[in-house]
Amino acid sequence: MSGPLLLSIESSCDETGIALVEGRRIRANVVASQVALHAATGGIVPEVAARAHLRWILPVFDEAWNDGGVDWADLDGIAVTYGPGLAGSLLVGINVAKTLAWVHDKPLVGVNHLEGHVYAAWLLDAEEDERPEPDFPLVALVVSGGHTFLVEMTDHLAYRLLGETVDDAAGEAFDKVGRLLGLDYPGGPAIMRAAEGATRRDVAFPRAWMGDSYDFSFSGLKTAARRAAEKARRDAGLGDDEVLPTATVAELAHGFQESVVDVLAAKTIRAADETGARSIVVGG
Amino acid sequence: PAGHRHGETLLPTIGRFLGEQNIRRSRIAGIVVGTGPGAFTGLRVGLATAKTLAASLGLPIVGVSTAEALLAAAVDAPSGDAAVGRPVLLMPAGPADRIEVRPGASPRLLPDGTEPALESGETLVALDLVDRAPPAALERGERAWAGFAAALVRLGVERLIRGEADDVARLVPEYVTLPRGVSATDGTVAWSRDPR
Ligand SMILES: [Zn+2]
Repeated sequence: MSGPLLLSIESSCDETGIALVEGRRIRANVVASQVALHAATGGIVPEVAARAHLRWILPVFDEAWNDGGVDWADLDGIAVTYGPGLAGSLLVGINVAKTLAWVHDKPLVGVNHLEGHVYAAWLLDAEEDERPEPDFPLVALVVSGGHTFLVEMTDHLAYRLLGETVDDAAGEAFDKVGRLLGLDYPGGPAIMRAAEGATRRDVAFPRAWMGDSYDFSFSGLKTAARRAAEKARRDAGLGDDEVLPTATVAELAHGFQESVVDVLAAKTIRAADETGARSIVVGG
Repeated sequence: PAGHRHGETLLPTIGRFLGEQNIRRSRIAGIVVGTGPGAFTGLRVGLATAKTLAASLGLPIVGVSTAEALLAAAVDAPSGDAAVGRPVLLMPAGPADRIEVRPGASPRLLPDGTEPALESGETLVALDLVDRAPPAALERGERAWAGFAAALVRLGVERLIRGEADDVARLVPEYVTLPRGVSATDGTVAWSRDPR
């Protein structure tokens, strides 16, 4: 039993992704990332993203299709991200998917991008050993560039939103704090790498617990990071545009990352306890 | 205009047209697509659909400048007034700016408040610029629009016959303007088979 063979197309943000999935097994997965393209502006410019999707989507499709080595006759359907995301970018993937479905007479399914993040946990890489599927009920934490939320699932496609960010997504906070510390875009991996070099780990940032709720807030933390960076500058006698010492950047990156991860982990575990979840899924 | 709606109507319209004309897909010999200038969203819907059609049906594709086709249609159009002479096309570029295009030349951006400078023998043909262009120019624009699709196909077929098909992957709209605060929109795009 291998399950249906699907072609799936994603273009909601700054990556053009096309995959072939058979049941839970990924047969091909090609991603063209625009990170380098957006680095110059320190963030995603929607029009730039949409242009790059249109330029790269057919080469990405060709590569994924060749990797998968499947036949149109064997394909059971086409899935495409319909939202949420950048309208101009989404349209590229959607129109390519529609046209492929029309030409090859295949069913087309629109998929919510956030559900995609959750369901990625079910998939198996090409070479990965079989493993059991996540058990219901479960709690899913999605942390991505644009979204941060906790959801309870009692069954397939049955969701109850437990909490979400009330301001920035965690990924946005990482980008902004990364820029503040003079690190590369995107901020997530850059802060993680910088934090690994921290020798002193006593810089504590506030945790926004938001009472008993499962909501998240990262804007206060962002302000705290800015103040800490400014203070470090003053202490070292540095001007506004002078580069902070590597050790200071590492320390601040570590403190910031700890604060974000601490809140994410604590709320997820508490949600799992309180809802009686049998598994936890993390996506993003 | 409303680009999103193109995405809902384009394929059904193509399907209906082929049905009405009783044309089987296997008889299509090539794809011609207008590449702008025009509204970005509408252009992307058209290009994404046309490119995918060409790639998946294994057909050659040619992109034809929308301005070039409109200029050709303006010359061909039966004119109410005197002959159109040498047309200069005026089109919107966003809510305030406009672009002017002369046959064989690249589009020129006219920032808000800048008027096109016409030489003698040139006539203005304006499109999608209600209240932003002289009424006579808009009328010529309407007559040109009526012959636009035919002109687009004619120019495209001429190029197809000459064997001048475009690279389907690289074909993108003629954007004319860059997004605000951006100095280039092409650049490195990193590839990966395994994003993790
Ligand atoms: Zn995402």
